[in-house]
Formats: sequence, structure tokens, C-alpha cells
Amino acid sequence: MTMTRRQLVASIPVAALAAGLPRGATAQDGRKVVTFWFGQANSDGQAALRNDLVEAFNASQDKYLLQLEVKGAAVNNLLKVALVAGNGPDIVQTAGPAYLTAIANAGQVLPLDDFAEKYKWKERFLAPLLNTSVYGGKLYALPRDYESMHLFYNKELFKQNGWKLPTNRKEMEEVADAALAKGIIPFGAGNADWKGVNEWLMTVFFNNVAGPDNVRKALAGELPWTAPPFVEAVELSKAWYNKGYFGKNYFSLTIEQSFLQVVNSKAAMAFSGTWSFGTKSYGMSKPDTVMDVAPTPTLGSAFSGSLVHLACGATLSIAKTSQNAEGAAAVFEFMLTRKFYETMNRDWPGKWALPVKDLPPEMLSGIGYPLFEKTIANLHEAFSKGQYGFTTWTFWPGATNSYLIEGIEQVWLNKITPDAYLTRMQTLFSQEAREGKVPPLPPRTA
Amino acid sequence: MWLFALPALLINICIILVPAVLTFTAAFFIWDGVGTPVWAGLANFQNMVADPVFWSALTNNFIWTAIFLTVPVCLALVMAAALLMAPKARIVVQSIIFLPRIIAVAVTGRIFQGMIFSPATGIVAWLNEHGFSISDPLADPDRSLYAVAAVDIWHWWGFLAVVFLSAMRQISVDQIEAARLDGAGFFALFRYVLIPGIRPTLTLMLILTVIWSFQVFEFIFIITRGGPAYGSEVLATFAYRHAFFEGDVGQAAAAACVMSLFGLCATAVYLWLQITDDAQST
Repeated sequence: MTMTRRQLVASIPVAALAAGLPRGATAQDGRKVVTFWFGQANSDGQAALRNDLVEAFNASQDKYLLQLEVKGAAVNNLLKVALVAGNGPDIVQTAGPAYLTAIANAGQVLPLDDFAEKYKWKERFLAPLLNTSVYGGKLYALPRDYESMHLFYNKELFKQNGWKLPTNRKEMEEVADAALAKGIIPFGAGNADWKGVNEWLMTVFFNNVAGPDNVRKALAGELPWTAPPFVEAVELSKAWYNKGYFGKNYFSLTIEQSFLQVVNSKAAMAFSGTWSFGTKSYGMSKPDTVMDVAPTPTLGSAFSGSLVHLACGATLSIAKTSQNAEGAAAVFEFMLTRKFYETMNRDWPGKWALPVKDLPPEMLSGIGYPLFEKTIANLHEAFSKGQYGFTTWTFWPGATNSYLIEGIEQVWLNKITPDAYLTRMQTLFSQEAREGKVPPLPPRTA
Repeated sequence: MWLFALPALLINICIILVPAVLTFTAAFFIWDGVGTPVWAGLANFQNMVADPVFWSALTNNFIWTAIFLTVPVCLALVMAAALLMAPKARIVVQSIIFLPRIIAVAVTGRIFQGMIFSPATGIVAWLNEHGFSISDPLADPDRSLYAVAAVDIWHWWGFLAVVFLSAMRQISVDQIEAARLDGAGFFALFRYVLIPGIRPTLTLMLILTVIWSFQVFEFIFIITRGGPAYGSEVLATFAYRHAFFEGDVGQAAAAACVMSLFGLCATAVYLWLQITDDAQST
């Protein structure tokens, strides 16, 4: 059949589109391609992804070929657009349940219940984390990791100054005041490269001042965000900011710069998450590290002791339009193997701590990272027992969470009052609750 | 004749008109970007005007416009006139002042953020170590907009100077020499010969400055993300935050409509000026 010039010209865009569509593609060796987009990853992380996930999975079987693309910080936006256009990757990774809610409600990802039954995922994952991805009784994602805010501190600095690890607000403020008096920043903190640091801090203030039970009630719509425990939490955060507990340069320092202040004894402590274990420049994996870590202590009267915060830093789903859902599920199952769990956590600690019962934290012993190993063990235990607070990036709906991050700067910089901040938060939360945008809460007990 | 215009027309319809109509339509829907849009009437506009952040963003756009209509324009006009008078220095100076324009916005933003304003690694840190008490302007909600504007001016004014110089070189040499023979100094020449001589170019650049000022996004997003405390928020960052962080595409589209409204006004003024000029010249 001959082709006219017009037909030839018309076929060019079609051919170009076809060439750019990896979906449902078959590799040269006959394997079906599974596509996976990843967000930000430093060079160590990219190497770990390539070696421990892509190459290891592709070598482990001969039916599927995993293809991974690192898309950068804008991956969440790209993903939404691609899913609406029906041209996203097979494996849909989101930045947590708060991001998953809109995608799952829109039916852009497949229910995983059949795969969950086949691979026994519901029996294997820790229930509190798995339940963050259940909508209308259907499972739409697997949690990729568990995270929590912790109190990181320079144990050598504490020892030199005779400070004890604080167990409540009074002791915390005593250490902070003593540090300030010596010209040491009480808490290394900075949000110049990531405004989300605001919510890391507010997760601690809301949960550790108001208490996790009150936070749960508010998330369930049983207590307004304007209630006195939350006012106290926001006022304390403002008081600490204004006293200089977070240093003079909170808005100028990057996350790494501020954490290194603690490592270099210029700051005493830092409220940060378990992801900090993955940054090699902090040197926390070394046997002679000056750093130590503990769950965050109570900062109010709602509870005593300390608290970890339930967080799922990323979820894994399968696109509704995936041509290779079986292959995507096979990749998930590969991630649950002991070998992957050990190698990934050794090479990129904190990013892929799968909350799976048959991958207990003891398996990580011997990877040469005592602080990480003990933290994951504590988290595993706390989440198993149902003793946890709630992180904003996992349980707050999108607009409310965005305001939580942006608005608290107005409070700290005296542009609005804590009452005005919480009133606005309540307004947004009520609206999103009506629209079904609040991520699901886990059951009270595991 | 239409056939000649057809390719450009098709491209414009596909990549400008269709997205513009869709954005305008989205402003009347509640849509999270992935689900099914729901008709909302004017609710997005009502919510927008009830949000104090919208008004501070709009005010910041006006401040930004006022800054860019004056500071870089004045700098560029003086530099262009000076280069017109000093032809030997033209090539070297033009290359130097044009250089910031060819550096990527992200790189420029990071240079100023990390190497100049940062109290940990920048010139501000060095000055503090040497006895000057200077804080990071990017960390102050009352100064952050001006600090980012300073970065953008550094990036922009050299380009403007080169454009003005090109326009000034079109002015008749006889006219300039006649003015000089009549005793005109630099400022008289500038005021009565050069500025009137480049009026069409100057008008165009001022109109474009107004349009671009209501679309400003990159420098602010890269350097401050509209903060701290919304101190440097403008309509574009307001819209971006609503679309991509809050999952509220309708509200973002409403803000985009307001941005476009100012651009349309500026374009209308430009067209009116053109028509007036044409009428006067015939």
C-alpha cells in the first residue's frame, strides 16, 4: 500500500505519540514493562534504587522488566496530570495518604484487595499503617515506610553541660534556656529549602501538647481545632519561636544546615524525622557519632512519657489504566522480600522501612547503624501497640495542611493571633471533611 | 493570505486559546485536579476575595509592578544613553550587563539565596562576622518581596538597557549632533532627544513590564515560595499553591483569571496608544 504525502504527514504525530508510550510495552526479551516514577532522590538514593530495586527485581524473575524514572520534586503534580490524561506510570507512588485521598476518591488507582488476598498483604502489614489507605472498605495502596518525628540531640554536648534528656516541657525549657545562656541554639531548625519543616514542628506541638487523643478527636470531627488544647499548642510554638529556641535564622537555613548545627555542637537538639537517618553528612551511622535520638517527650498535661507519631511517608498503588497490574503487584511483593528489606535499609536508611510484621526490625540488626535500628524497633513496637500520635502530612487533608504550614509563619511572625490561625484551620477542615477529603483514621488499637 | 497564517493560528489555538478557555471555565468549578469537576458558579471568586492572602498577593503584584516600572527602567535608560555616548565601551559593557539575563533563573535564585543573602554561607554571614549586623532580608516578611525584586532587577535591567540602546541607535545622528551644537548637555539630550526618540520602544517595554509583573512567578517561587508568612506572595504563587498543594484547581483558575485581567488591560492600553499614534501620523 502506498502512502500519500498527506497521510505521511498526518501519521507523524501519531507515531511520535506511540513512541512515547511505555504503557503495556514489551521489552526486547519479551518481558512486560512495569513503569515506576520516583520523586526526589540524592545520588546515594538513586544508586540504591537502581541496584537494590530495579536490577535486583529484574534479575529475580523473567516475566517483568521494571523501568524507573526519577522525576524530581514536581512528581506529585506530574503524576496527577498524567493520571487524568490516562498516561501515568503503572506504579503510582504518592507522598502519603493525604495525597492518595484525592487520587483514590477519583478512582485513578485500582483497589488492591484481590492482590492483597493473593499475597496475604492484609495479614502481613501493620494494621495502623495499612488502614491509612483504606477508602470505602477497599484497599488502594500499600504503605512504603513508616516515619515519626523524634528528638535528635547531641549527647556529647549534653554530657559536657550536665544536661539530662528532657522528659517534659519544664525540663525541656530548662535545657533550652541553659543552652541559650551559653550561646547554643536550643533546637537546630530551618525551612529555607522545604516549608514542610513547619509541619514537622507543628506535628510535635499538636500531639505532644494537646495529646494524641485530642488530635484524634479533632481529625474525627468530634473536637474543633479552636479548642483550648490546640490553642495552648500553637501558643507554645509561638512562645518558643519568639524566645529564639529555633535560632535567629529559621527562614534562612536549609534542613541540612540546621541539622548540622546540632552535629557540630552549635545547637543542642532538633525535632526531625526518621528520614534524617538517610543523610550521610550527619554521620549518625558511625560508631563514634555525637548524636543520639529519643521519642519526643510530652510538652503538656494531656499525657505523660513520650510519643512517636504515626506517619506514612509514601504509598504505593497501581494505576487504574495500568496494562500490567500483575507486574506492578509482583514488584510490591518483591519489596516485601527479606533481601530487599535488608539491602535497601542498609544503602538508604529510613526510606524503605516497610511496616510488615514478618519483616521485624530485628532483621536490620547488623546493618551497622545502631541509632536507626533502635528507632525502627521502637516505632515497630509503638505502632503494633497502637500508641502513637498523628502526623499532619499523613492525616490532615490537603488545604488544611497547606494552611497549617503557611499560616503558622504568620503566627510566629506576629501577623495573626493563634485564635485566628486555628479558626481558619477549622473552617478549612470542616469544608474538606464535608467533601470527604480527610484521610482515614486507623483503629484505636492495632 | 489565511493559508499563510494558518500554521501560526493553529498553534495559537492549541497552546494558548484552548488552555485559556479551559482555565476560564475551571474557575467556575470545584475541582481537585483528578476527580470530576462540580459546578460552583461564582463560589471560587467569592472565596478568593474573602481570603486576605489574595489581597496581600494582589497588593504585592502592584508593588512589584511599580518597582519594575521605575528602578530597572531608569537604570537601563541611563546606561543606554551613556553607552550611546561612549561607543568604545559598548561591546564590553553590554556583554557584562547582559550576562545575568542568560544565566538560568534557578541558578540566579540559588546564588542570591545561598551566596549572598544567607546568614550561614553568604555575604551576609561574612558581613556579620566582620561587625556589621545585617539580617537575611529573605527571612523578613516585610522585606522579602523587595529582596526578591532586587534579584530580578539584577537579572532584568541589563537586557532592558540593551533594548533601549538599540532603539537609541535608530535616532538620527544629525538630530543628536544638532542638539549638542545648540549646547544641550547629557541630561538635556536625554530628556529632549533620546527619550522622545525611543518613545514607541519605551511604551512597549512599559506595557510588557505591567503584563509580566502580574505573571511574575519563577524568582519568587524559587527563592521564597511566597513567604515567609505570605510576605512575598503574588497571584501566581497564590494560584500555584491552590492548584498543586491544596488540590483546589478552581480557586487557582480564578486567581489566574485576575492575573489575565490585568494583562488584558495593559494590552488594551497598548493597542489604544498604537491606534492613537496611527491616527496622529495620518
